[in-house]
Amino acid sequence: MSDLESRLDQIVPEPQFSPRANRGPLMISMKNVSKRYVANKAALENINVEVAAGEFVFIVGHSGSGKSTFIRMLLREVQPSSGQIIVAGHDLSRLKNSKVPYLRRNIGCVFQDFKLLPNKTAFENVAFALQVIGKSKHVINTQVPEVLRLVGLEGKIHNYPHELSGGEQQRVSVARAFVNRPPLLLCDEPTGNLDPQTSLGIMKLLERINRTGTTTLIATHDQEMVNYMRQRVIALDEGQLVRDQDRGVYGNVD
Amino acid sequence: MSINLGYFISEAAISFKRNWVMTFGGIATIFLSLLLMGSALLMNSLVNDMVGDIEGRVIIQVWIHDDAEYVDIESLQAILEGHGNVAGVELIGKDEALERFTYMMQDSPQIVEQLRDNPLPRSLEVELVDTQEIDGVVSLIKGSDEILRIADSPDDLDRSVTYGQGIVETLLGATQTARYAGIALVGILALVSLIFINNTIRLAIYARRNELSIMRLVGASNGFIRAPFILEGILQALVGALLAILVLLAVKSFMFPGLQETLAFITFNFTNALMTEIALILLGSGVVIGTLGAIIAMRRYLKI
Repeated sequence: MSDLESRLDQIVPEPQFSPRANRGPLMISMKNVSKRYVANKAALENINVEVAAGEFVFIVGHSGSGKSTFIRMLLREVQPSSGQIIVAGHDLSRLKNSKVPYLRRNIGCVFQDFKLLPNKTAFENVAFALQVIGKSKHVINTQVPEVLRLVGLEGKIHNYPHELSGGEQQRVSVARAFVNRPPLLLCDEPTGNLDPQTSLGIMKLLERINRTGTTTLIATHDQEMVNYMRQRVIALDEGQLVRDQDRGVYGNVD
Repeated sequence: MSINLGYFISEAAISFKRNWVMTFGGIATIFLSLLLMGSALLMNSLVNDMVGDIEGRVIIQVWIHDDAEYVDIESLQAILEGHGNVAGVELIGKDEALERFTYMMQDSPQIVEQLRDNPLPRSLEVELVDTQEIDGVVSLIKGSDEILRIADSPDDLDRSVTYGQGIVETLLGATQTARYAGIALVGILALVSLIFINNTIRLAIYARRNELSIMRLVGASNGFIRAPFILEGILQALVGALLAILVLLAVKSFMFPGLQETLAFITFNFTNALMTEIALILLGSGVVIGTLGAIIAMRRYLKI
């Protein structure tokens, strides 16, 4: 048993798996999921996770623990080596390549590096997400200003990304992820590039979005934020799920 | 889907501007290969016309000995006229033969002046209905009893019965070779343009990789992601094809009239129907090359 694991055991004597029978329909279900990029080392090993619709979940762990693989498998950017993943009713191993876009229309994504297009304004960046899935001009012109107001950028909808602060850029990115009202929002280190004060604002925004019924998964190593939010925490370490705890804290994984 | 069409076209146009050097290369190679293809098609139709023309002029000439009896000549003439493939038989007398010879030699009359008496033989000229079936009539002549009596040189009937043996075959053989060479050249150029378009699309994909990754994330369908690139390939090919058509039309209207004067024995007959057909073939091939180039590039560089 490694040093780390023994320390973990002292803090959290047993992994706490709470009964979730009363939580409503499942948004995410992972059964015995493993992923190996190279033959002998598992990026994720035998992961079993269920997330009900409407939950707010942190996925924590240090670099290389498998957080990103976890998120990318839900997007079906990566296929598991074994096991079954069901997201928003789609069995990902049976999903044809041509149907993947329709899965992704149900999933909003926020990333550490915002992934905004530099030659488009905030409005255009958000509109782009609707444009490319074939939404009409009318829908775009009503939904985009509304979602930008929701994230608190009503005064800057015609600014380019380089004219916005990091926090504001991330708000645009959240607006883009949410504009299509997806039932699931995935965030990969959303506050990784932001200072604590700004991070808190983004977290509160994500929490507000969660309260509209959107299932929200946040992969992060922002210890303070996880401890502050007191939400469900799934901890990964070297590809293993080491803890799944309601109203959890970051713990000593780092 | 009306907005989508506008979106695709504007995306293709933006990419066109962004990579204009590569785009220019793509257009230029397509232009060259299609121009060659068009020229080959023009030459082909020209050669076909020529062959048809020459075939139409093929007649059988039976050279007659000066001592031959008139009854034998008439008898052969009657046999031939009874054959289904013979359109007409005409006896050319010695005087008419000399007249023709004089006309042919009008540039050097001294040759005619040196002839003391008329050395030219009489001949029967046999016109045919179908020149492809010439062999039947030739063997009929050679097999008749009369020919042995009237022939200029009865020992060697091939010299007495002439019909431009092999001229048509030689012509067709030569044009066939030229045609194969043309096809090979066009094929190579088409391959080069395919590679060029493939490369342009690859750069376009690279230039737009951020947009593409976002499009994938927000769930743009595969067709939607691919359409601008296919359109770009087709657009390049169409511009190349249009240029090639313009050049061909220019050549047709400015060069061939002058050429016709110098080469009077060839009839240049480029109808509008022919030019339309060639234009459509070029546009079609251009679209095929453009689409193929784009599809190959996407298969290799656009992971969806």
